[in-house]
Amino acid sequence: MKLIRIPLLLLTISLITSCSKSFLDVNTDPNSPTDVPIKTLLPVSTVGLGWASSNELGRTAAILMQYNAGISGNAASYDQWILSSLDNQWNSEIYHGTLNNLEILLSKTEGSSFAYSGIAKLEKAYIISIATDLWGDVPYTEAGKGLIYPQPRFDLQQDIYLGNSSKGVQSLFSLVREGIADLGKASVKSPSDDDIVYNGNLSKWIRAGNSLLLKFALQVSNVAPDTTKAVINAVLTNAATTTPFIDAIDGSLDLNIPFSSANPNAYYLQDFGGSIPNTEMLGNRFLALERVLNDSLRLSKMYTKPAPTFIGYDNASPFAAPAIGIRSVYGNYVTGTAGNAPVRLLTAFRNYFILAEAALMFGTTGDANTYYQNGIKAAMKSVGLTDAEITAYFTANPTIVTLTGTTADKRLQILVQKYVSSVGNAIESYNDYRRTGLPVLIKPLVTQGDDPNTFPKRFPYTSNEGDANPNQPSPRPLTNVKVWWGL
Amino acid sequence: MKQLLLFFAMSLFILHAAGQSRTLTGLVRDDKGNPIQSASVFIKGTSLGTVTNADGVFNFSVPDNARTLVISSVGYGSTEVSIGKNLRFDIALSVAKETELQGVVVTALGISKAKRTLGYATQTVRNEDIIDKGDGSLLNALQGKLAGAEITGASGSAGASTNIILRGMTSFSFNNQPLFVIDGVPISNDLDQGTISLYSDQSANRSMDLNINNIESVNVMQGPAAAALYGSRASRGAIIITTKKGSGKKNTVNVVYNTSYTIQKIYGFPELQNEYGQGANGIFSSISTFSYGPRVGSTPTLANGLIVAPGQNPVVNGVRYNPGDVIAYQDFPSNLEDYFETGTMLENNLTINSGDARNNYGLSVGSSKQDGILPNSSFKKNNVQFSASSYLTDRLSIKGTATYFNTIQQGVTQGSNGAYSSIARLFSTPRSIDMGYYKDHYTTPGGYNNWYVPNVFSSVLKDSISAADNPWFAAYKNPIKSNLSRLIGALTISYDLNNWLNVSYRAGIDTYTDRRKRTVAIGSTQVVRSTSTGASGTTTGGIMEDMFYRSELNGDLLITAKKNDIFIPGLNANLLLGQGVNQRKFQNISEVGYGLTVPGYYNITNSTNLSLSNETNTLRRLFGYYGQLSLGYNNYLFLEMTARNDHSSTLPKKHNSFFYPSVSGSFVFTDAFKIKSDLLSFGKVRMSYAKVGNDADPYLLSNVYASASYGNNVASYSFPYGTVSGFSASSTIANPDLRPEFTISKEFGANIGLFKNAINIDATYYSQLSKDQIISVAVPGSTGYTTKIANLGKMTNKGIELTVTATPFKTKDFSWTLSGNFSANRNKVVEIAPGVTSFGITGVTSFSGNIPSIVKGKPYGVIVGGKYITNANGDRLIDSTTGSYLGFVANQIVADPNKDWIAGLTNTFTYKNFSLSVLLDYKKGGDVESFTVAALRANGSLKETGVDRDQPKILPGVIDMGGGKYRNNNIQIPAQTYWNAGFGAQTGGANSNEFVVFDATCFRVRELSISYDLLGNAVGTKLIKNVRLTVYGRNLFFYAPNCPVDPELSTQGAGNVRGMELLSAPNTRNMGVSLRVNF
Repeated sequence: MKLIRIPLLLLTISLITSCSKSFLDVNTDPNSPTDVPIKTLLPVSTVGLGWASSNELGRTAAILMQYNAGISGNAASYDQWILSSLDNQWNSEIYHGTLNNLEILLSKTEGSSFAYSGIAKLEKAYIISIATDLWGDVPYTEAGKGLIYPQPRFDLQQDIYLGNSSKGVQSLFSLVREGIADLGKASVKSPSDDDIVYNGNLSKWIRAGNSLLLKFALQVSNVAPDTTKAVINAVLTNAATTTPFIDAIDGSLDLNIPFSSANPNAYYLQDFGGSIPNTEMLGNRFLALERVLNDSLRLSKMYTKPAPTFIGYDNASPFAAPAIGIRSVYGNYVTGTAGNAPVRLLTAFRNYFILAEAALMFGTTGDANTYYQNGIKAAMKSVGLTDAEITAYFTANPTIVTLTGTTADKRLQILVQKYVSSVGNAIESYNDYRRTGLPVLIKPLVTQGDDPNTFPKRFPYTSNEGDANPNQPSPRPLTNVKVWWGL
Repeated sequence: MKQLLLFFAMSLFILHAAGQSRTLTGLVRDDKGNPIQSASVFIKGTSLGTVTNADGVFNFSVPDNARTLVISSVGYGSTEVSIGKNLRFDIALSVAKETELQGVVVTALGISKAKRTLGYATQTVRNEDIIDKGDGSLLNALQGKLAGAEITGASGSAGASTNIILRGMTSFSFNNQPLFVIDGVPISNDLDQGTISLYSDQSANRSMDLNINNIESVNVMQGPAAAALYGSRASRGAIIITTKKGSGKKNTVNVVYNTSYTIQKIYGFPELQNEYGQGANGIFSSISTFSYGPRVGSTPTLANGLIVAPGQNPVVNGVRYNPGDVIAYQDFPSNLEDYFETGTMLENNLTINSGDARNNYGLSVGSSKQDGILPNSSFKKNNVQFSASSYLTDRLSIKGTATYFNTIQQGVTQGSNGAYSSIARLFSTPRSIDMGYYKDHYTTPGGYNNWYVPNVFSSVLKDSISAADNPWFAAYKNPIKSNLSRLIGALTISYDLNNWLNVSYRAGIDTYTDRRKRTVAIGSTQVVRSTSTGASGTTTGGIMEDMFYRSELNGDLLITAKKNDIFIPGLNANLLLGQGVNQRKFQNISEVGYGLTVPGYYNITNSTNLSLSNETNTLRRLFGYYGQLSLGYNNYLFLEMTARNDHSSTLPKKHNSFFYPSVSGSFVFTDAFKIKSDLLSFGKVRMSYAKVGNDADPYLLSNVYASASYGNNVASYSFPYGTVSGFSASSTIANPDLRPEFTISKEFGANIGLFKNAINIDATYYSQLSKDQIISVAVPGSTGYTTKIANLGKMTNKGIELTVTATPFKTKDFSWTLSGNFSANRNKVVEIAPGVTSFGITGVTSFSGNIPSIVKGKPYGVIVGGKYITNANGDRLIDSTTGSYLGFVANQIVADPNKDWIAGLTNTFTYKNFSLSVLLDYKKGGDVESFTVAALRANGSLKETGVDRDQPKILPGVIDMGGGKYRNNNIQIPAQTYWNAGFGAQTGGANSNEFVVFDATCFRVRELSISYDLLGNAVGTKLIKNVRLTVYGRNLFFYAPNCPVDPELSTQGAGNVRGMELLSAPNTRNMGVSLRVNF
C-alpha cells in the first residue's frame, strides 16, 4: 500500500519533465530585437560618419593641426604628439557602428532597394577613407563582417584607393561610382526621414558621391596624379551634363550631419556639455594666422571671445592655461548654441578649393582663381557672414583673396584658406597637411610620442586590434612613417 | 539520467525492511528554553538516530529494545535520557563548547548531519557571534570569523555593499558571490547597480536587508563539494542562513526585546598638510583646486597673490576683495573631515515565540535607522517575520515563514569623476577653503550652486553658476533614494510515509521591487546619465527613475529514506532523491529625463529629453534532478555520493542538460582504532571530489540589435534622433553552441581534538579547477564587433584553511575561549583563449586608465594600467630636459588585489556574569589603488606634499646617457611638479598610477564587546528572565604600515572588481550600547 506512493511520486517527476520543453523555452531576448527594418540602420551609419569624424579623431586632428591647444587630459597628450587610446574610435565608431551596420544594410538592400544600397556604398567609401587616411593600411575588403571573417586582413592603402583585382579589392572610386549608379536605379524601398541628411533626395546624394570622387582624387595626387586629373575632369564633364557635385556657394547642398540640442554634437560635449569639459581652447598659432588674414570677423563665429580680445594658448605649453571664463573656445559655428551645429563632411567650399588646387597643379578644367574665390565666399557664407560682409572683406583684402605669385605661392594661398575654412573638420586639414606640408606648422613647445622630432604622419594602430588580429602589421609602423599617399 | 533514477528507485526498495518499532517525539532546548536545532539524537549503543529540525523537534522510530537516548548538539554538552515507556520528551542541554567536533551541522538543502560524517569543510557562526558587534550587516558581521572567506566593504557610507568571495573567484565573467539560502530558500544577494562604473552611489547588496538579530545561525560551505546539491550556483560556495523559529516550552511565551544605539565616526582618513593653502606655484589663486599656494603666514605681496592685483575682484570664502586688499589666508585643518558627520544607528527588535513541540509560532519585528556619515544620507530597515509550524497529524507537518522587508537608502554620489560624483569635489578642496562658510552658503542668491570654483555665466539659466558642484549642494540637491519592498516566504509540507521514508516539498519565493530616484538640480554641474547604458546626457538638471524588480521562485521535492544495519550490522544508509525547479526574473526600467525647466520640480514631466530611458528584462529557468546516498559504518567511516543533472534555459537545447557528481568520505580514526588518549581525543580525516556545472547568463545565443549609441563618458550620442530611431547590431557576437562551464574541486582535510577536546583543529587543503569558462572574448575591432561569446579558459584556486578553537582556561566562574582562523588562497588564470593574454573584467571598461583584468598566468582581477618607462634595471627613466618621468608604457600590471593570507582571532573571557570578546584580524598582502591618495597628493593636500615644500625636489630615477649608460637623476624640480606631475594624478588615462598602489596589509581590532547579564531574580521579577547589557566597539584600531589610508575599501563593492578605492567615503569606527531583555 505504502509502496504504491513511490511510483506515484516518480510519475509526478516525469510529468514535470515532459512539460519541461516549453518550461525552458524562455531564452528569447525580450530586450533586443533579432532583426530590424532597414530604415533604422541608415541613420546609425550616417550619424556614425559624422560622429567618427568629429569625436576623438576630429579632436585629435584639430589639436595636431593647431586649431586648438590641449590643456589637460588626452587633449594635452595629443598636443605633445602622444597618440594613444584611440581604440574606441577604431572599434566602436568606424568598424562597429558605422561599417558593420552598412554591411548589414547592403546585404539587405543590394539588388533591390538601390536607393539604400547607393547611399550605403557612398557612406562606406567615406568611412573607409577616414580609416585609411589616418592609419594607412587597414581592413577593408573583409572588414565589418565578423560573422564571416573573424580576423580581417589589412588591405594596402594603394589597393584601397586604386583597387587590386588580383586580391579582390575594389577601389574606393569604383565603390563610389557603383553607389552613384545605384542611386539612379528604381528602388523597392526608398528612404525619407531616415535619411537625416537629405530627407530622401537622391539627386543630392549623387552630388555627394561626385564630391567624394573629387576629394579622393586629390588625396592620391602625390602618387597617382593621372588618376587625380582623370577623375576630376570626368566629374567636371559629367557635372556639365547630368550629375553635378556639391557646388552651391550658399552651402544648401552640403553633406552636413545634423545634430540638435537633444542630440548634441561631439564638439559641444567635449568642450561644454560632457563630463570632462575645458580640456582644450583656441591655439595661439591659429589665432595669429587669422590675425594676419584680417579674418577676425569669421574667427568670431568659429571661436568665442568672452574677453575683449581672443585669448589663445600655446600648443603643448608647459605653462598654466588662462582661466576658464576668459578662454576662446569653439564658437557657435562648430558647437551651435547647445550642440546643435552640424558636422560638415562634404562642402561646396572644400570642393572649390579642391578644384582650385587641381586646376593649378594638374591643369584640370577651369580657372584656379575663380574656384579659389568661390571657395572663400562659400566658406564665409558657411560661417554665417552676410554678402555685404564678404564683399567688404574682398574689397579690403585684395591680395589675400587673389591668387598671386609662383605656383607654390598660389598653392599655399589655397591651402591656407582651405585650412582656415575647415574648422570643425580638422581631419581634412590633417590629410591636406600630410599630402602637401601646407600650411606651415611650427613644432609644439613639447613633443613626445613615437618620434618627438617628426610630425605624426599617421595614427598608431590600436592595441585591441593588435591583440586579437595577427594580420595587423607588427611591429606597427611608427608615426614617423608616411602613408602611401603622404609626403 | 533515467538509469540513475531507476537505480535510486531500486535502492529505496532494497532499503525497505520491516521491524517492530515505535515513534518518539521530543523537543531539545537549551537551559534558557530556546529550541536547539540540529541536535543529534541517538539510541545508545547503536548508530540509530536522527537530528532535531529547525524547531528543536525530533521525531523518529526506534526499535522496541531501545533503552536510552543520547542527545548532543554543537556547542552544547551531551545528555542521556532513559526511554522507558515515554513517547514524548523535553530535553534540556547546557552550553558546553568542547563538543564542537562532534556536533551537528545543516548541510545542503537544509539537511542536518553529524559533523563527523562530513567529507568536506563547513563552518558555523551562531547568533551571538554576530549580534551586538556594531554592524547590522550580516556580511560585515562575518568579517574575520571565517576561514576561506574574503570579505571587503565598499566604504563607510550608509548601506554600502560588501563583497564576499569564498575560496577565490571561479568564474571569469559571471557572479562570483556565494549562493545565499535562507531557511532552505535561495535568495538574492544581488547588487543592483546600473552600470559597474565610477559614477554612482553605493547601493546595498541584498543580504543587507536581513535582520541579523533574527538569524539563529549561519553555515558557510566554502567549497563546491559541500554545496553541490544546490546546483549550478554551488561552485562559488554557499551561505546557509537559519532564522529563529517559534517554539518554546509548552504554555509559555518567550519574548526577547533588544535595543541598541551606535555612533559612527570616520576613521582612516589620510593625514593632510596644514601649512599651504589655495594656489599654484607658491602663488595664491582664488580659483585654484590646488593647495600649492604660499605658506600660511607669508607676508602678503602682489607677487604671492595675497594682495589683490589691479583689475581683480576675487571672492575668497564668501568675501569679495578689491584691488589692493589683503586676502584673509589661513588653513582650515579639518575642513575635509568636517564634511563628514557623526553617523548614528538606532535599532529595535522584538521576538515572540510560543507553542510546544508540535504546534508553534513566532513573530519577529525589527527596525533600524541609520543616519550616515555623509550629509543627507541614511539607511533604514524595517522587517516583520512570521513563522508557524504544525503537525496536522502524527505524520503530516506543515511549516511556513514569511518575511517582509522595507529598506530605504538615501545617499550621495561617489567616485572619482566630478561630473557625476559629489565626493570627488570634496577631495579637490584646497586647505584654505572655509568649509563652514560653504556649508552654510551652498547656494547662490539665485538658488544655484555656490562654490569657490569661479562662477560662469550660463546662457541657458541667465545667471552665473559655479563650474563645479559644492559638495553640500550636491548632497542636499542631488540625492539618490532607494526604496525597497521585499518578501521572502517559504512553505514546507512533510509527510512520513513510514518510519524510514519521508516525502517533503518545499517552495520558496524571494521577490523585491527597488524604486530608486536620483535627481540633479538645475544649476548643478553633475551630468545626467543613463544608469543602464552609461550614456551621458547634459548638465541641465534631470531625473533618473530606476525600478529594479527581481523574483526567484524555488521548489524542491525531497524523498528521504534511511535505514540502519543494512547488509551487515553497523552499516547505515541514507538516501535522498530530489527534484528542483528554479526561476529567476529580473526587470529594470529606467526613465531618465534631462533638460529640466522648472527648478525644484522633480517629476519626469519636467524634462525635455527622455532619450536615455531604458528597459531590461531577463528570465531564466532551471530544473534539476539530484540524489545523495550516504553510507556510514559503525559511526567512524562515512561515504557520501551526490549526483545532479540540471537543465537550463540559458544554454542551447543540445547542451542544456548537464550532469555533475561528487563523492566525499571521512574516517574517524580515533574511534576506528579505539584510541583512548587525553592528548588525541578525536581524529578524523576527510576528502572529497566534486564537479559543479554552471549555466550561462540569459540571451547569449542569438545575435541581436540594440538602440544605437556612440561615444564614451567624454561625449556620447544616443538614438533616437528626434523621431528617427536607429538600431545597431550588437557589438557582441552570440554563440549558439554554448556549453556549461565547470568547476572541479578536490579537498582534503582533518579534524583533530586534543586534550579532551579542549583544543579543536580543523585543517583543509583544496584545489579547484574552473574550465570551459563562458566569456566574451575580444575580437578584432575591424570585424565590426568587439567581443564574441565563447567557452574558453581555465582558472585554478588552491588554498588552505585552518580553524582552531580552544578553551585554555576554565574554572567555575572564569573561562577563556579562543577561536582562530587562517586561510590562504592562490588563484591563477591558466588559460584564456588562443592568442588572448588579457581582457578586462566583463562590464568594466576602465577607471581612469586602470582596467581590472583577467591576465594569463596571473591571479584574477589584477589591475592593468600605465607604468613609467624603466631601464633593464627597473630604474625609472627621467627626461633629461625637464627632470620629469620620460613617459609611460601602457598595459602593465599595476596592482594585484589578491591577498597572501588572512587570519582572525576571537578571544572570549567570561567572569561570572561578565563577558568580554575581542576579535582581531590580520590581512596580509594584496594591493589597493587609492584614488583618494592620488587626488590629495596631486592637489597638494596630503601631508607628505607639505614637507620641505619650499625645497626643490628630485624624482627618483635615472637619465639615459646613451650606449646603455645611466646616471642618477639630479635635476631639481619644484615641489608642485614633483607631486602633481611626477608622482602622477589619477585623472586621465595618460598618467601613470603606480604611485598610488599600496600594500593593503592591515592589522585590525575589528570588534570588542563587553556584556553583563542580569538574571531575572536579581531584577526581582519573575517576568524578566535575563537582561543583557552590552557595550561594543567596531574597527577601534587599525594598523596599515604600507598605506596612508585605510586599505580595506573596495569602492565597487560586491562584484568582481577588487582593490580599487575610487574616491569613496572613508571607513568608520563604530561604538555603541545594546540592551537585550529576555522575558
